[in-house]
Amino acid sequence: MIYKLSDIKSDVVRSADVAIIGCGAGGGPIARELASEGHSVVVIEEGAYFTRDDFHLDPAEAYMNMYRDAGQVVTLGLPFILLPMGKTVGGTTTINSATALRILHPILKKWHLTHGLEDITEDELNLIYAYLEEYLFVKRADPEVAGKVATTFLAGAEKLGLSCGWLPRNAKECEGFGSCAFGCPSGSKQSVDVSFVPDAVGFGADIYSCCRADEIKVSGGKAVGIKGRFLDPRTQRPTGCKIDIDAKMIVLSAGAIYSPYFLLRQGIANSSGQVGKNLQIHPASQATAVMDERMDAPKGIPQSSYVDEFKGEGIMLEGGTVPPEIHAMALPLIGKRNAQAMVAYPNMGIFGGMISESDSWGRVVNLPRRGYRPAILYSLRGKDVEKARAATSLMAEIWFAAGAKKVLTPITGHYELSGQRDLARLERSRIKARDIFALTAYHPLGTCRMGGDPEWSVVRHTCESWDMDNLYICDGSVLPSSPGVNPQLTIMAMAMRCAGFIEEKLAKQP
Amino acid sequence: MRSLPRGQMRSFMEAYVARPQGLPPIDVDAQSDFIEEYLRAGAPEFRLAFIACSLGLNLLSIISRGKTFSRLGPEKQQQLLDKCFNSSNPLIRGMAVLPGFAFLMSYYRRPEVAVPLGFDSAALKADAELRKVSRDRDLPAREESP
Repeated sequence: MIYKLSDIKSDVVRSADVAIIGCGAGGGPIARELASEGHSVVVIEEGAYFTRDDFHLDPAEAYMNMYRDAGQVVTLGLPFILLPMGKTVGGTTTINSATALRILHPILKKWHLTHGLEDITEDELNLIYAYLEEYLFVKRADPEVAGKVATTFLAGAEKLGLSCGWLPRNAKECEGFGSCAFGCPSGSKQSVDVSFVPDAVGFGADIYSCCRADEIKVSGGKAVGIKGRFLDPRTQRPTGCKIDIDAKMIVLSAGAIYSPYFLLRQGIANSSGQVGKNLQIHPASQATAVMDERMDAPKGIPQSSYVDEFKGEGIMLEGGTVPPEIHAMALPLIGKRNAQAMVAYPNMGIFGGMISESDSWGRVVNLPRRGYRPAILYSLRGKDVEKARAATSLMAEIWFAAGAKKVLTPITGHYELSGQRDLARLERSRIKARDIFALTAYHPLGTCRMGGDPEWSVVRHTCESWDMDNLYICDGSVLPSSPGVNPQLTIMAMAMRCAGFIEEKLAKQP
Repeated sequence: MRSLPRGQMRSFMEAYVARPQGLPPIDVDAQSDFIEEYLRAGAPEFRLAFIACSLGLNLLSIISRGKTFSRLGPEKQQQLLDKCFNSSNPLIRGMAVLPGFAFLMSYYRRPEVAVPLGFDSAALKADAELRKVSRDRDLPAREESP
């Protein structure tokens, strides 16, 4: 059963084989796998539970209901980076763009060589990926419903001879309602809340929404349960009801920002000193084109196409259209000039360029702050600033090839490009992090990384903590680096693997 | 407590939104209420930053023009925003950019603004209602839909 806040009238005390903190790309698949094997599973999730009927294509409402801190999470450093994260049953999968890609081969090799993760073989991962792709109805975006922005941009990329195509997505019969990031209103997107969660519940798992974990109970060096409390999801105020679960196995799946924060607050599982360190994100720049013809941006699949010509160099271009209220904020124009540009919104197209392999590393720190929030330290360094500039120039070049009259970029001194001369000037320029007006970033990873050496990693390849028996950590935090692409499928694959190891361990227990 | 007095909210809103041609004027009350709700839902530091940036703009206005932001004429307000936005100092740039997020969001989310721009969320939602996807069956073709 999925418990909503209104279902909780008193304290909850119970026991289970497995207790899971967090119900996103890590916790959801583990819950489903273990429940399907007949184990009792209890999941607690800090966010609220929403269904398709609750999704009204209202970005601001979605931010306030389903995003951590109403979508206002920012990193401390240069440039200003907005890091949106989901906080709802389904986690960030409920509000992501449904891009479902496998890890890049050279990166898995790097994990083997650098992180001692030879046990994660390509063959094993491919089997899991294939299963997930079938389970989640992954297929390439349909050009018929992708929308004008994507088809125009790809036409530009093809004109320049760049490698490009349609993204594989975990969406069944998507008809392009343009609202992936605010909850899919047709139920097409196979996010965790519409796939793994209903199945887990069908197999008997219980999910408590609006419930934050306060501590992992420890006895004799082993994790033995969870304590938590119920909160109003909007105000974060405790309702007074608490939860206390005894369990044989505990899984922490609160994401790459909140899993390390949880461990740092409690002071556990950190003999390596690596908890919270090694934060990688995918900073993303954008280029907005003004075209002669209508683009009708909100219609279609917001992120349906890619240009991967430079993926080996850590640059992936992936489209991302947004409704007017987000578009206006993303424009590098202020006041009257923003207003003048917004009149042309129907003729505008926006595309995103992600630094998919980054040389910058950040850190999640437990600083004294009001409420339940870590500080996220991150600055764009060295080559990544150059990659942001290169990604922006490339997008501008593609837009001009596609017929753009003007291209807007977030780089100071190059906000408005009117043609090839301005583009050449941007290409020649050397910029610093402070020259970028603002970036968004996605996919926090690496803060409880897995590895073969307990001195340099937080969990084993099985996702079990090096320090504490029966404690597993499984979400983006365990990936030792970016998989070079959007990570949801790889996080899910690690969760499927992790569930197998938990199952083995449970089988050995009386 | 409100983040900014209503009068200041109005002058910032007018300057940031700058009423795009053919679109409705700002609705100070409704947009202010939304901004308060949006800021309350987020991190307290974000709300503080919003207030601090607005105060910073006022201070800069007094230092550079001898008047608070709301007492500057529309033209001078735009000049000040442009100057801050084009500054090479990221703090001054951020001071101009950050409050704009809330003001712009509060304006462009209004259906009477979004619909003329081509984003009709109610119509899209109604269409999505007719095309509910299920994991265990396929959708009928569009022409067969009720």
